[in-house]
Parts: sequence; C-alpha cells; structure tokens
Amino acid sequence: MKLITAVVKPHRLDEIKEALQAFGVHGLTVTEASGYGRQRGHTEVYRGAEYTVDLVPKIRIEVLAEDDDAEQLIEVVVKAARTGKIGDGKVWSLPVDTAVRVRTGERGPDAL
Amino acid sequence: MTGTDVRDGTQDPGPGGYAAARLRLLTEGARSGPPRRAALAELTDDWLAGLFDAVAAETADGRPAPGVSLVAVGGYGRGELSPRSDLDLLLLHDGGDLGAVAALADRLWYPVWDLGLALDHSVRTPAEARKTAGDDLKVQLGLLDARHLAGDAALTAGLRTAVLADWRNQAVRRLPELQELSAERAARQGELRYLLEPDLKEARGGLRDATALRAVAASWLADAPREGLADARRRLLDARDALHLTTGRATDRLALQEQDQVAAALDLLDADALLRQVYEAARVISYASDVTWREVGRVIRSRAVRPRLREKARERSDFLRRAVAGDWRGALDGGKPAAERSPLAEGVVEQDGEVVLARTARPERDPVLPLRAAAAAAQAGLPLSLYAVRRLAATARPLPTPWPAEAREQLVTLLGSGRPTVDVWEALEAEGVITRLLPDWERVRCRPQRNAVHVWTVDRHLIETAVRASELTRRVGRPDLLLVAALLHDIGKGWPGDHSVTGETIARDVAGRIGFDRADAAVLAGLVRHHLLLVETATRRDLDDPATVRAVAEAVGTQSTLELLHALTEADALATGPAAWSSWRGSLVAELVRRVSAVLAGDVPDGPEAAAAPTAEHERLAVEAWRTGGPVLALRPQPGEALGDPSGEPEPLGVELLIAVPDQPGVLPSVAGLLAVHRLTVRTAELRSLELPGVVDDGAVLLLNWRVAAEYGSLPQAARLRADLGRALDGSLDIAGRLAERDAAYPRRRGVVAPPPRVRVAPAASRHATVIEVRAQDAPGLLFRLGRALEDAKVRVRSAHVSTLGANAVDAFYVTGPAGDPLPGEEAASVARRLEEALQA
Repeated sequence: MKLITAVVKPHRLDEIKEALQAFGVHGLTVTEASGYGRQRGHTEVYRGAEYTVDLVPKIRIEVLAEDDDAEQLIEVVVKAARTGKIGDGKVWSLPVDTAVRVRTGERGPDAL
Repeated sequence: MTGTDVRDGTQDPGPGGYAAARLRLLTEGARSGPPRRAALAELTDDWLAGLFDAVAAETADGRPAPGVSLVAVGGYGRGELSPRSDLDLLLLHDGGDLGAVAALADRLWYPVWDLGLALDHSVRTPAEARKTAGDDLKVQLGLLDARHLAGDAALTAGLRTAVLADWRNQAVRRLPELQELSAERAARQGELRYLLEPDLKEARGGLRDATALRAVAASWLADAPREGLADARRRLLDARDALHLTTGRATDRLALQEQDQVAAALDLLDADALLRQVYEAARVISYASDVTWREVGRVIRSRAVRPRLREKARERSDFLRRAVAGDWRGALDGGKPAAERSPLAEGVVEQDGEVVLARTARPERDPVLPLRAAAAAAQAGLPLSLYAVRRLAATARPLPTPWPAEAREQLVTLLGSGRPTVDVWEALEAEGVITRLLPDWERVRCRPQRNAVHVWTVDRHLIETAVRASELTRRVGRPDLLLVAALLHDIGKGWPGDHSVTGETIARDVAGRIGFDRADAAVLAGLVRHHLLLVETATRRDLDDPATVRAVAEAVGTQSTLELLHALTEADALATGPAAWSSWRGSLVAELVRRVSAVLAGDVPDGPEAAAAPTAEHERLAVEAWRTGGPVLALRPQPGEALGDPSGEPEPLGVELLIAVPDQPGVLPSVAGLLAVHRLTVRTAELRSLELPGVVDDGAVLLLNWRVAAEYGSLPQAARLRADLGRALDGSLDIAGRLAERDAAYPRRRGVVAPPPRVRVAPAASRHATVIEVRAQDAPGLLFRLGRALEDAKVRVRSAHVSTLGANAVDAFYVTGPAGDPLPGEEAASVARRLEEALQA
C-alpha cells in the first residue's frame, strides 16, 4: 500500500476530489496547511503597509492506495491540481506497512 | 445472592414483578409525560418499600426496626423518574445497630443493581447527612427534595425539617455558592437555547437550573418569576424521557442523529419543531434564573450593607444626580432612601446594579425608550430590570415607519456594545420587544441550523456576529452599516431558497424601515447578498486569475463596501463556531481583499473636502462674526413633522447649531468643550474656513456647522451658549477644569470594553492638506480632547468632518502646517500618534 500526499492550491480541491472520485477512490483526508516551496516568500503591500508573505495557504490531501494504483492516482492528482503557475504544489507517495478499519478490524487492502 | 432474595419478587418474570411492570409502563405507551414519571416513581416506591418491609419482617417482632428509614432524594425525591434516571436513595439510621443497618443496605441495594438500574446510594445518620450537606452543595440540594419511602417516618420528617431550616439559615452564604456552581456549569456546557446539540440537564437553562430555582425558593430569600416555569420544566423532562427511551441510555445530550426519533416519539413534526420547543423552554428557565439570581444578590447585599457614612463629595453631587434622574422627592429629602439612582440616558437610570426607567419616563409617549434603555444598559454593561422590560413591552408605543433617527442610532449603539449586548437583547426578546421592533426576527427566533460548522441557532448567531463585528468597528468607515449588516446577514434563513438572496430583499426592506436612506439601504442589502462571497471565492477560486478578482470587484462595487464586507466576513465566521475561521482562511480572504482593493483603487470616491458653497445664512453669520470680532451663533430646532423631507427620508438626529468665529487658535477645542460642558452630544460636525469676499486683510472666518443633541432634558438657550463661548475663547472660562470637575463629581460608568481608538494618516486623500482619520468610542469631551491635541501639535485645522454612528465616532481632520502646506510624512505620523495618545489617556 501507498500513502499519497498532495500539497496543492486550495482552489483546486473540488477538481481533485471529483477526479479522485471518478477514479474510484472512496476516502480522503483534507487539512488546511501553510508553507512555501521553491518560490520562497515574497513581499506584498497591503493598505500602505509592507509585509512579507513567507507562508502561503495550501491544502494537504492524503489518500491511501493499493500499490498497483498508486502511480496512476498520482497522475490523476497532478493533472487536477495543475494550473501551470508557480506554487502549484507537490505530490509524493510513501510505502505503508498496514492499515486497519477501526469499525470492523479489517486489515490491509480490505481496509481501504 | 442469597435464597431470601427470591421471596421479594424482584426476579419474578410474571406480571407481578417490578421489572415486568416497569417494562410494561415504559413500552406500552398508554401513559407519557408527568403521569408516566409519577407512575414510575410510585411503582418504584412500592417495590423498595416492599423490600424494606420484607427485611423488617424477618426480625424478631416482625415490625420495622425503629430508627431506620429509607428516603428518596434528588429527582426521585421529587417523584419524577425518567426511564433511565438514577435512583437516589438514602438509608437513614439513628446510629443504633450498625451491623443490622449494613445488612439491610445490602438487601436493598443488591436487587437494584441486579436489575441494572443506576443507583446513587448513601447510609447516614441525620447528623451525618446534615454535615455532608453542609460540606457538599450537591448533597444539600438532593436533601431538599427528601421524601419518605419506608421505615421510621418520624426520623425522615426530622431530617427534612432540619435540612430545610439549615438551608434557610445558611442561605446568605450558600446561595452565592450555588450561583457560582451554576455559572461554572454554564461556562462549561454552554447555553441550551442556542446549542444545536444541547445537554438537556447540564446546559444553562436546563433541568439543573430549574432545580436550582426550586432551591432558591426553598431558602425563602427570593422566588423566580413563575410564568411558564413549570411548563418549561415539563417539556424538558418529556424530551429527556423520549431521549432515554430512544437511545436506551441515560444520556441527556440531544445529539443530531437522535433528534428525529425523539421528535417522532413526542408526536412533533420534525427535529426543528423539537428543538424549537426545547429552546423556548430553556429560554424561560434561563431568563427566570437571571432574574432570580439578581434578586438574590440584591437581598443579600441589602442584608450585608449597614448604613454607611457618605463621603462629602458624594453628598454634594447627590442632589444633582437625583434631580437629573427625575427623583425630585429623593433629591429634596436629602437622599435617605436606600436605592441610589444615577442617570444613564434620557428616561433611563441605574439603580442597584440594574437599569430601570426613570420616574419621569413615559414609555407610552416615547417610542424610542425601549431602544434607548437597551442601548444604555448594554453600554453600561448592566442588565435591564425585568420590571422595566415588562413595562416597556406593555406600554411603549410602536415606532413610526421609517424610524426616527434616534431609534436607529440607539439600535446601532446597542449592537455595538460587545458582549453585554447578548443579555440585553435576550431580555427584550423574552418579552417580545424585539419581534415588535423587527417583525422579520420572528422567522429566525430559536431556529436551529442543520450544519456541522454552526454551533448556535440562527438568532444567537446573528447577535454573536454583531458582538464580533463590534470589535472590528475601527476597521471600517461606517460602523453603523457593519453592525446592522451583522444583525441581518442571515435573516433570510427563515425562508425557503438561498438565504443570501431572500436576505437581500428583507435587509433592504428592514433598512428602509429603520430609517437608513436609500444609498445606505442598498449597501446593506448588498452586504447581506454577498456575505459569503469573499470566503467562498478566497477558498475555492484561483486568486491569480484576474477574472476572479474582477468578478468580486464588480459585485462589491466600492472600496468602502469592500472594507465592510471584509469585516462582516470575519465577524460572521468567528460567530459561527471554532471550525469556521482560522488564520489559514483569514490569510486567503485578506489576499483576495487586497487584490480586489487594487482593482477598485481606480475609483476614488469624492473627497468630503468638496464642500457645498456657503448658504446665505452662513455668509450672514460669517459677516456678522467678522464685523463684531466675536462668535455668532444660531440654534435651529428641528423642523416640524409636517415640513419633513420630501424624499421621505427621516430627519437626522438632534438640532443644527451654526457658529461663526473669526479665525483664531483654539476654536475647535473651545466649542467642543463648551458643548460637552452643556451636556450636548455631538452627532456630526463640519468645520471649514470661509474667505469673506471684499475683505482685504486676513479676514478668514471659521464656520462650524454642528448637529447636537441634549444628553438629558432640553437644550440650553442660544444666548447663554454664545456668552459662554465668548468667555471660553478669551480664556476666562476654564473648560478643561469644568469638565474635570464634573467627571470627578459624577463619574461615568464604563461598562463596555471598546476596541482601542485608531488614528491614522489617510494615504493620498488630499493634495492640499494632510488627512487624519480618527475612529474611537464616543465619549463626552472626545472632540474637546482631540481639538486640544491638534492645537498642541501646532497644526491648523482647515476642515473637519465629524460623525457619530451609534457609539462610534468617525472623524476626519484636514490639517496643514502653519504655512498652509500638507505636513511631511514624519510629522503627520507624529500628529496621529499624539492624537491616539490623547484618546487613550
């Protein structure tokens, strides 16, 4: 199993959700996050006051997937999240040892 | 388990057994509500008495041992058992044969446990019971409802008498303890009538509060207003019975997933109907609690306070205080009566920590009085007395449509008072005053919302939003519109369809009725229509896309509306619940606002500097001032009703006061201070300098156009004002001294914690002068302090635009250096800082 994590622009959430649903993903976790990547912070002027934006609002999406689906799923997320501009975000995956569905106690791929 | 247990019939599965009878009673549904609770208690009484007597029958003489009795306490003592209620039992003994008592206890408690019933038990002598009650308030409350079940009736009666006597004797000490306990619980559990998943027992206005009211009554110290109280309690108990039966558990929390079933069990249409009924009941109980605890406080204070020597200074100001409060009798007989009254507003006084109507108040002739009293109470952070609200509800005349300006201003003041607004609003609401003022409120009253993000009912959410908005008033140029928009933003939730769309229509209509002009009503309607626009766009749309930003800019229209919408969005989210606002959302919304603001920056609104040409009267006054070299003044009372503005828009508050003075230092502080000394509040003020045609030397005359209202009573004579102004300008009248003296003799109550004042230099607002914007809580002498600070900073005030919106002052001063040029950036910032310091002092 793989844990796929995407940190992307907030307004892409609806598209990503729809794309994942179309792919057949049943569940995902979304968190509000802040951070920065290669673009670093930038300076803004708001109401006459200069301030540095060092953390940009993002959302973090986490999905558990079977090994065979992981590559394709990553592609789906990347496609749905892409706007072509700086700050579109990152997607990565990690191997997962085990997963348990709390209610039934099912384990492994059955728990997904 | 011993063999003897079989004989008591506990385990008897047949129709005679307690368990079977209990099951029948609860499942057959022939009875419900109070009869079922009473029947369940009776059935349980018989069973427990049977157990007790069976043990007694085994003793030598077959009669119950003297000196032992079984007592029901708490809810069971009151003879009300819900399906899953605990059995609160006390085995009372006189300290005789302890071994026999222990054996008896075993024979009583085990059958109860074996049936799976929750048991709250104790074994005590009367002395022990009284001591425990003395140490533990909860035990004391339980014992107040003690009821004899079996055994030595004299022993129970003795305990009851002693416990009630103790309670009355110690009431002065213990009632405050009980109040504190209730307050702690309320803080922990929240307020039943506004919670979407309320705890029927523990939340404020729940069953525990109803029990506390019984305890207060038992102390003989005070009693609760009884209307509807018994009925309210019954409804909560009925709902709890249904909840116990539905869930099969002893839970008191009406969770969302249970509400439909509980509603069905009670033959109610749906979960909304159930919640509304529960909220109405809770409102009665929490309101009765408020009134009762205030009464308790008053009685305890009056017992504790011995007649004390008054300080001399107080004595001197006492006459004035009473005279202003309309208490002439009290003023003339030297102020002996205990109740001290101090004025808060016209017709409204404070007495003994509550806001009441002055003796001279005439609600039947003064339709603004309910709002004025409410605003004064909220600003002072005091409760409105029950009798005042009832009298207002019963006798106040309805407000004309559109509302007079004072009514609208008082509503804005009430809404802008922060936390105290909630209680005052609640008091008005409880007596139906709110629905009479704003008929559209009825549809959102006690309305639950099926939404995981919201924690409050719609009405409380609206008030909560106004409270949050009052903290953001310094961020906007029109705090009055922000506060009213906060109150109305979800008003459409009472109707089918998108609540923003229906709300827009209602808001426009309400805004017109409460006296906003058409332009303001349009802004309010737009704010309601778009109250979700910023947050939805910021979190779901691409802010880098110029079309997104343009669409928002088009919907919003102007910078000032954007500023209002930003503040409304934040207030709304903060008032929704902990999940609705975070720094994450806040930064996205701020980013959107920044981008929209940049798009709108092109449309600079007309500066207020473009003043209208002086009228003939202005010129006449100016010429006279220049000719006489002294101040000239004209006081114009409000035009008669028949002469009302043909546009149908209401006349602004107060009267017009025109003053012309040859330009000289100190005009603004002198005039502002003089008005404060005469107890005139400034609603608006315009100051400008007029060059007189045909006058060669520097004959500039300052023209001040004020709109003022008397704080109490009637306006002073124009001639008197003029004479005093002359003395103020030549320095023979010490205004600062007079104001300080009055403040010392008659300190103002400051109940509301207003947001701190904000003074800033408006960027690029004018080419000819530096514009300093001041936003602060209105207070007597505010303009005097500002004027003096400007004077001290050695700047020339070219013009000033002062307005008071509710309790908020929004001022702009156009200032220049001595040579008539705008101030350099550094100096402008320093002047702004000095003004802010002057306001904070």
